[in-house]
Amino acid sequence: MTTPTLDLTPSAPAVPPREGRASRRFGPRLSGTAWLVWRQHRAAYWTLIGLTLVGVVAMVWLRGQMMDQLNALDASGRKSDGLPPDFEKYTNRLFTFGSFLGYVPVLLGVFLGAPLIAGDLESGTAKLVTSQSVSRLRWLTTKLAMTAGLIALCTAVLGAVFTWWWSPLRGRADTLEWTSSVFFDGTGPVPVAYALLTFSVGVAVGMVLRRTLVSMVVTLGVVGALSVVWDRFRLDLGNVMTATTRGGGDGGLPTLPDQAVQQGQGAYFLTSSGQKLDWMTCLAQQEHTKAHTACLESKDVIGRAVDYLPVSQMHTMQWLGAGLMLAVTAAVVVFVLTWGRGRLL
Amino acid sequence: MVTAHHGSAGRRTPRPAAGPSASTAAARTSGSRLHRPRAARFPPPARSYAQEPHVNHSATHHPGPAGYAHPAGTSAIEAHGLGKKYRRGWALREVSFRLPAGRVCGLVGPNGAGKSTLMGLVTHMVQPTTGALRVLGEAPGSQGAVRRTAFLSQEKPLFRRFTVADTLRLGHELNPRWDQGVAEGIVSAGQVPLTARIGTLSGGQRTRVAFALAFGKRPDLLILDEPMSDLDPLVRRELMETLTAEAAQHGTTVLVSSHMLAELQYICDYLLVVADGGLRLAGEVEELRAAHALLAAPDGGPPPHLAPHRVIESRGAVGARGEEGRTGVLVRLGGPVEYGGPAAPPTLEELLLGYLRSPDVPALIAPSARPGDIHDILTRDQPETVTA
Repeated sequence: MTTPTLDLTPSAPAVPPREGRASRRFGPRLSGTAWLVWRQHRAAYWTLIGLTLVGVVAMVWLRGQMMDQLNALDASGRKSDGLPPDFEKYTNRLFTFGSFLGYVPVLLGVFLGAPLIAGDLESGTAKLVTSQSVSRLRWLTTKLAMTAGLIALCTAVLGAVFTWWWSPLRGRADTLEWTSSVFFDGTGPVPVAYALLTFSVGVAVGMVLRRTLVSMVVTLGVVGALSVVWDRFRLDLGNVMTATTRGGGDGGLPTLPDQAVQQGQGAYFLTSSGQKLDWMTCLAQQEHTKAHTACLESKDVIGRAVDYLPVSQMHTMQWLGAGLMLAVTAAVVVFVLTWGRGRLL
Repeated sequence: MVTAHHGSAGRRTPRPAAGPSASTAAARTSGSRLHRPRAARFPPPARSYAQEPHVNHSATHHPGPAGYAHPAGTSAIEAHGLGKKYRRGWALREVSFRLPAGRVCGLVGPNGAGKSTLMGLVTHMVQPTTGALRVLGEAPGSQGAVRRTAFLSQEKPLFRRFTVADTLRLGHELNPRWDQGVAEGIVSAGQVPLTARIGTLSGGQRTRVAFALAFGKRPDLLILDEPMSDLDPLVRRELMETLTAEAAQHGTTVLVSSHMLAELQYICDYLLVVADGGLRLAGEVEELRAAHALLAAPDGGPPPHLAPHRVIESRGAVGARGEEGRTGVLVRLGGPVEYGGPAAPPTLEELLLGYLRSPDVPALIAPSARPGDIHDILTRDQPETVTA
C-alpha cells in the first residue's frame, strides 16, 4: 500500500544511481547524452557490431579457402594461364558476398537512419528528452555523431576486409572488373561515404515524416533512387582514355593496359583526322572484304580505337565519389540540425 | 484593458462575512483538505513590489538548490499578447498574464481551451505566432529557463524499454541539479521496483515514474499537464500531497492543468482559467473569490440589489441546471455589498462555472496577474514608497 509520508529532504548531492553498479551490462562507460543514446539504441548498436563481426569472420574464412586454392594453383606453375574454370567457385563467392555488402548502406539507412529520430517523435520520448536540461541540439548531435561514428567504423572494417579478400585476385580474373559496382562501391572510402549518406537521408526523412514505418519505406525509395543515379554516373567521375592502332581499318584491336576496362560502344574506327567512327561504319559491306576495305578507305580510316578506364584511376574516382557523397551528407546533416533545433516537436 | 474598472475590486471590497473563505470550500469535503504550509506566506494582494526594489534582477537570479523563497514580485511566467495559430485556427489568442513565483497555479479550462498549447509555449515545444513570453525571466528554450523548468506532458512519454532505474539514471545524466533521493523516494513510495521495465508497468506506476523524473530535476518551475488523469484517487491524493510539500519546501512554482477543478482546488493558491483560446480569469484564488459574491435570491423574495456590481450569472433553483450547488446571483463586486440579504463568497467551482458559462462577461485579470514592464511598476510605485 502506498505510504503518504515521504522523505523529501534533499539528499546528499551526487548520489550515484544504483543501476550503475547493480545491473551494469557489458558496454562502454558513458555519461550524459552519450549514455542516453547508447542505452536507447544499444540493441541496434550491438546488432550492427555483431553483424559486422560475423561478416568479417565469414570473409576471413572464405578468403582462407580461396588462398589455399590459389597457392596450390601457383605451386603447380600454371600462373601465367590465368585462373582455371574450376576456380570460378571462389570468384563467384567473392562476387556474391560483395553484392550483399552493396545492400549494407541501404539497410543502414532504412533500419538505423529512418527510426533514429522518427521513433522518438512518434513515441513522444523526444519531448521527454528535450524537457530535461540538455539542449535539443546537443542531444541531436550526440545521437547523430554516435550512430554515424559506429556506422563509419563498421563499414570501414567491412570494406577493408573485403578489399583484402579481393586483392589477390586483382588482375587475375577477367570477370572481376574493378568498375563493377561490387568492387567500386565495396572497397576504399566509398562504402563508408555511401553508408553515411543513406543514414543521413534516413534521419532527415524520419525527422520530417515523424512516423517510423512510413519513413522507413520512404527512405528505401529515396535511397533506391540515389543508387540508380550513382550507378548511372559513377564512371563519369573517371577520365576516359583511348587506345589506338594505326594498322588500317581491318587491323587488330589495340591492346589495353592490365586491368583496364573498356568503355563506350565497342571498338571504333579511327580516321586520319583523329575522329572516331562507331562500329556500324561500313557494316553493310562487312561480308565482302574488298568492298569493306574500300568503304573504310573512302572514310579515311587508318586504324582502330578503344575507349577504356585504366585501373590507376580507380583510387581517384573513388575518393572523388566519396567526397561528393560526404558533401551531400554534410548538407543533409546541416538540414537535420537546423530543422531539429527550430521545429523538432 | 477590459477589466480596468474592476481591477481593484479585490482590494477595495471589505471581505464578506464568510471569513477565511478557503476553509469554507474545503470544510465541505472534510478530510480532503491538504496541509497548506504556504498559506501563511501569501503576500498581500498586489502592491508588494515596492518593498522589493531588486525584483527586476530576476533574470540574473539563481537560487540555490535547497529551499529558497522567491521575492514577491518575481514572475515565474510573464506573457504579453501571446497567441498561437495552427492550421485549423487560433488555439490561443491575445493572452497576457503574469504568474508570480512561488505559487501553485491551477490552469483550468474545458478540453481544447488552449491549456496544452499554453504549456507547450512555456516549455518551448510550441513556437508562439504572436506575442512574447518570459519564463523565470528568460526566453523560453534558453538554457537558464530549460534547466529550471520541469515539464510533465499529458502523454507522460517514457522510454518503454528502459527500466525504472534507467529512467532515473536518465534524469541523473541529463540534469545538473538532479536529486536521486527525491526521485527514488517517489518511486519507492508506490512500490515500483527499480528493475522493472517501463513497458511492463501499469499506467499509474508509469505516471509515478514520470513524476519522479520531474521532481528529481529540482525545478524552479514545474509544469504538469493533466497529471492525474490515469491515477486512482488514493495515489492522486498522495502525489498531490507530494507536490504541495515539494513546492512549499523549495519555493517551486507549479503550473498544473486540468479540466477538472475538483482535482486542483485544494492545492492551488493561484488560478488561470482559459476558454476558447482566451484568458477568462487570472489571479490569486483568494483575490478572485473576494472580488465576487454570490447574492442569495430567496424564493419569491425581492431580487437582490445589484446596482454597483456586474452580474456574472444567475444561478437558478437547485436542480434547475441538473446539478447541485447554491442558488443566487453571482456578481463581480463593484463596491461594498449593500444588499442586506445573505451574501457569500463563491466557491472556486461556482466562480469557474460562472465564467465559463458566460463568455460575454469580460475577463478578470487580478492585479497580481497583470503583466507589465517591471520598471513601469517600480516607477509607478515610487511615490508610495517615498510617502510611506
